[in-house]
Amino acid sequence: MTLLSDALFSDVMFYLVAAVMIGTAIATIMAKNLLQSAVFLIFSFVGTAILYLMLHAEFMAMAQIMVYAGGVIIFVIFTILLTSHLGESALHIKLPRTFIALMISLAFLWVMVRFVVLTPDLNVATPTATSGYASLSSFALRLLSTGPEGFVIPFEIISLLLLVTLVCAITIARKFKGEE
Amino acid sequence: MMTPSITHPIGDFIRANVPIPELAYLINAIICIVAICTVAFGAAMVLVYMERKVCAHVQCRLGPMRLGPHGCIQTVADTIKLFFKEVYAPNGADKFLFYLAPMVLLTAPFMCLSMIPFDHNLQVADISVGIPLIIAVNGFGILGILLGGWASNNKYSLLGSLRSGAQMISYEISYAMILLFVVMMSGSCSLQEITLSQSGNLFDWWIFKAPGIGFLAFLMFLISSTAELNRAPFDIAEAEQELTGGYHTEYNGLAFAMFYLAEYINLVTTSAIATVCFLGGYLPLSFGYAPVDHVLAIVPGFIWFFGKVFAMIWVYMMLRWTFVRPRVDQLMGLEWKFLLPVNLLLLALGAVFISLGWIVP
Repeated sequence: MTLLSDALFSDVMFYLVAAVMIGTAIATIMAKNLLQSAVFLIFSFVGTAILYLMLHAEFMAMAQIMVYAGGVIIFVIFTILLTSHLGESALHIKLPRTFIALMISLAFLWVMVRFVVLTPDLNVATPTATSGYASLSSFALRLLSTGPEGFVIPFEIISLLLLVTLVCAITIARKFKGEE
Repeated sequence: MMTPSITHPIGDFIRANVPIPELAYLINAIICIVAICTVAFGAAMVLVYMERKVCAHVQCRLGPMRLGPHGCIQTVADTIKLFFKEVYAPNGADKFLFYLAPMVLLTAPFMCLSMIPFDHNLQVADISVGIPLIIAVNGFGILGILLGGWASNNKYSLLGSLRSGAQMISYEISYAMILLFVVMMSGSCSLQEITLSQSGNLFDWWIFKAPGIGFLAFLMFLISSTAELNRAPFDIAEAEQELTGGYHTEYNGLAFAMFYLAEYINLVTTSAIATVCFLGGYLPLSFGYAPVDHVLAIVPGFIWFFGKVFAMIWVYMMLRWTFVRPRVDQLMGLEWKFLLPVNLLLLALGAVFISLGWIVP
């Protein structure tokens, strides 16, 4: 005997996570303090990672936590700590700007909803990928295979691009002798 | 969704004997939480005592001796004292972030503990992305320290947390690379499979199995994890002489206890990861000589596991009381100019060894 069916349970969990995500996203914007905004943003990112996990996209969830929560946000916080005088003056935003921002976000929301509604088979398709499709091993094999399913050329191009970025960063940061 | 994909004897037993699946799910969850908390708090209590004793004996002292035989109740008394202290935030501190920081800091070690295989069946979650998740949640540790340092509204705390943040971000790269090296050798990201890939005798552990580079990788892991743990000799984050106490200067009572606890649980998890990745995890010691091996195999796996973990912890403690603290710039130079290139070389060498067939995963 079961009290909750699997579908109902995953629905409830989805709405719970979504509510947390929306709440923290709103808190990110509303927080007076820049550092508090960054902290709320982390919770929002972790919520996104949980949504990925619920869709069986394990590697996406890990990448979300590793890159956004663990990497980007840490650097954002570092930048905030090193540059601004926190807590001394909150951000002041004038009313016309708030109005324009509201209009733009409403327009964006409208476009997004329209596109989602236009997706074919939205009502019948299962929301999760087939089991194992997005697991780490199949993900890695697809990334490196040269067949029609493979992504080896984009993968190599991206790695080359990252290498170029690294070399550029070192070149900029490098100090030559006598230059101090 | 209610039944996890991983089958587990204890979990299966409860699922088979409790009539309501939701209740079984809840009981399983509670068992997991209690188990992890027991390991975490128990190990932390033991480690505080052990640290004081090891420190004392290195310095030719006796350490705590008054409470109980050889002072073994001293830690209990200290814990009770910490529990009853008043928790307050300094004037002008950001209260929300001040109390959030230690909680954020504690998430990482608990998530790591839940993935560690203590024995064949003693593991909360055997997930296929274990190593990436460990690397990912390490970021929360840095976050907790940065937030705690800033929210204290104290210049020493802020300086300490910025130093520590820079240090941990840098050394995390080496740490992650060594873990990736182990993943490459064993061909799996699951901690259980990494352990099982070392089954055989003593020379099948990754520290010896990969000729030469295994031991080098282990040394690299030791260095980068000591820095990652913020332990001496890499404790510039809380260098007492310079920063009074670093990022937790303003914390007291339970909030301070959480920082302290996180430090010691991190020590356990890091030693456990070292044990899993290099020292064969819960697999018993064996020399390839059947009469001795059969006797050693009688000892259950989790005793082997904790034995290896405490041996690793002892190594970390001896490191702490042996070496002197490097300067900030020396520390950064060590990571970016020495450890990182050597780790890249190690990864490349590992690939060469595997392609030549010298290492069989």
